[in-house]
Amino acid sequence: MSQKDQTVISRTGSAVSLKGVDKHFLQWQRDNHAKGMLRNLIKPEKKVVRALEDVSFEIEKGEFVAYAGPNGAGKSTTMKLLSGMLIPNAGDIRVFGLSPQKNRRALMHRLGVLFGNRTELWWDHPIIQSFEWKKVVWNIDDSTYRRNLDMVTELLDLGPLLKTFAREMSLGQRMRADLGMMLLHSPELLLLDEPTLGLDVVAKRQMIDFLKKINHEEGVTIMVTSHDMDDLEEMAERMLMISDGKIAYDGGFDGLRKITGDLTRVILSMENGDVPTLDDAHLISAKNGVYEFEVDLGQTTVRDLMRRLSDYDGISDVEIKKAPIEQVIARIYQEWK
Amino acid sequence: MDKITPIRFLKLLGIYAKIDLAWLIRDTKYAIAAITADMISNMSAVSAVFLIAIRFDGIGGMSSDEVLFMMAYSTLVTGLFIIFGNNNNIHVSRIIGRGQLEHMFIQPLPLHVQLMASGFGPFTGCGNFLVGMGLLVVSIQRLSIQVTPSWVLTLFLYLLATMTIIVARSYLVSTMAFYSPVAAEEISSVAIEGTWMLSTFPLSGMPRAIQLSLITILPEGLMAWFPAMALLGRPPLLGAYYPLIFAMLLAAVAAFAFKKGMKYYVTKGSNRYLPYGFRR
Repeated sequence: MSQKDQTVISRTGSAVSLKGVDKHFLQWQRDNHAKGMLRNLIKPEKKVVRALEDVSFEIEKGEFVAYAGPNGAGKSTTMKLLSGMLIPNAGDIRVFGLSPQKNRRALMHRLGVLFGNRTELWWDHPIIQSFEWKKVVWNIDDSTYRRNLDMVTELLDLGPLLKTFAREMSLGQRMRADLGMMLLHSPELLLLDEPTLGLDVVAKRQMIDFLKKINHEEGVTIMVTSHDMDDLEEMAERMLMISDGKIAYDGGFDGLRKITGDLTRVILSMENGDVPTLDDAHLISAKNGVYEFEVDLGQTTVRDLMRRLSDYDGISDVEIKKAPIEQVIARIYQEWK
Repeated sequence: MDKITPIRFLKLLGIYAKIDLAWLIRDTKYAIAAITADMISNMSAVSAVFLIAIRFDGIGGMSSDEVLFMMAYSTLVTGLFIIFGNNNNIHVSRIIGRGQLEHMFIQPLPLHVQLMASGFGPFTGCGNFLVGMGLLVVSIQRLSIQVTPSWVLTLFLYLLATMTIIVARSYLVSTMAFYSPVAAEEISSVAIEGTWMLSTFPLSGMPRAIQLSLITILPEGLMAWFPAMALLGRPPLLGAYYPLIFAMLLAAVAAFAFKKGMKYYVTKGSNRYLPYGFRR
């Protein structure tokens, strides 16, 4: 943003648009036997890997979207396409109406990109040095830089870290510093690929709270990938799921649960040592008189469930809750396989 | 989109210079050790040739003072290489082969501007350049060269041509890293530094075929010998302008090959990423 003062970001219009995007890669196949090696020398065997196939979706400004899928589903490829690191084989990609390939430089003033397994920090220098480097390279004006530096220092608790070398920080501290650096130019869209990778619960908590805050208060559009579904559910309102390079689900997290049959957990605490049985319910665990069942509310109703439970003697406590999203997703992944 | 004006480019050079100075001040012991090692390595290469020239009263028609002048030129070139190639931006096969170009794609700058600016280390990299300047002054005095503005301009043009040839050679061979990132990660350093010793050898008196091959196929003769002879007023075969023409042609070929490699990279992607060597 060279460098208009951008305290409020417009929340209307399209932030990201993919239409019929295909991306495939050629993968060399290597044989382990002499005959195969020789054959490969003359005629290399190649396999076409379809990373994305006819992928279309739209993300509005101000949305917080989770982008999930099994390993190799095409999540990182999508992130790289959106940030101009790759070009698609077919289809149209727009970020704020601009092509990431043709307008890479203009877009990079409006985008923040973070890959969880990489750092943009200068390794042998204190964090503040990396921040100053970013100020010059992104041509951030003094007032924007100062305001954003104060904001990320306070919200990400970076004060004690600013004079520390990147190589001397823990993973959680480094991720916070990377996140802070990414926000110095007031990006309107954040593309975060596995930002919570390897973080402990405290560091993860800080990151999630921070992302939710800048999404709600600053209107920053966020697209985040993670394998931690509980984190995603806590952060995002909308889930895009990709499988084998195709969008397999686009909607809310509750809608996702309904796909697998509106799975619900019923936890019964028994006081007399009885082992309860429930028709149409699957016993998941039993420990110290506490029994956890999985019930499909698509097959039965809560009222019917409660009626049947009231017939039991010796129930000291009943808890009904949504199935963990992690388990719902695992079931979906299994079905896709 | 911010324009890349000369001022903007100088600011970019400035931040890299500041980072370089910061490293020198913070890690002074290590920085001085690295600078000294660079200087000793280069000095030993050039003094070996110079000592032979003294022992035999010149080499192949070049006097020992002329050899000293050539060594000064060679040391200046090494100095410039280190000053502007601090972060693998000249040995670019390392960046490509390690999948680290993606760090550059997310910067709002043209790639060539990033590559030109990001290796600037005038403080930790100046050792050889200063030694080269010293040798140049001594050899100019001993040879009684008339230093006129046009002679200085000619020196500057030859240095520019030599640096262009080094960078173009590096980028040309580095394109292999787009296609074979693992095998070609170090190809630039092997291609450039592997034959660096040859560039300090005076080719005067060598058979014409050897001279010709060393200014065309393997252009080590253009690293110091040819420009030094031209600056001494005795340009060898193919004429005084040859290094400039060769530099332009090689740069054009390298730019074409590099663009093609880049297209391959953004189409196929890189299936390799190594964090080491990135901003260290």
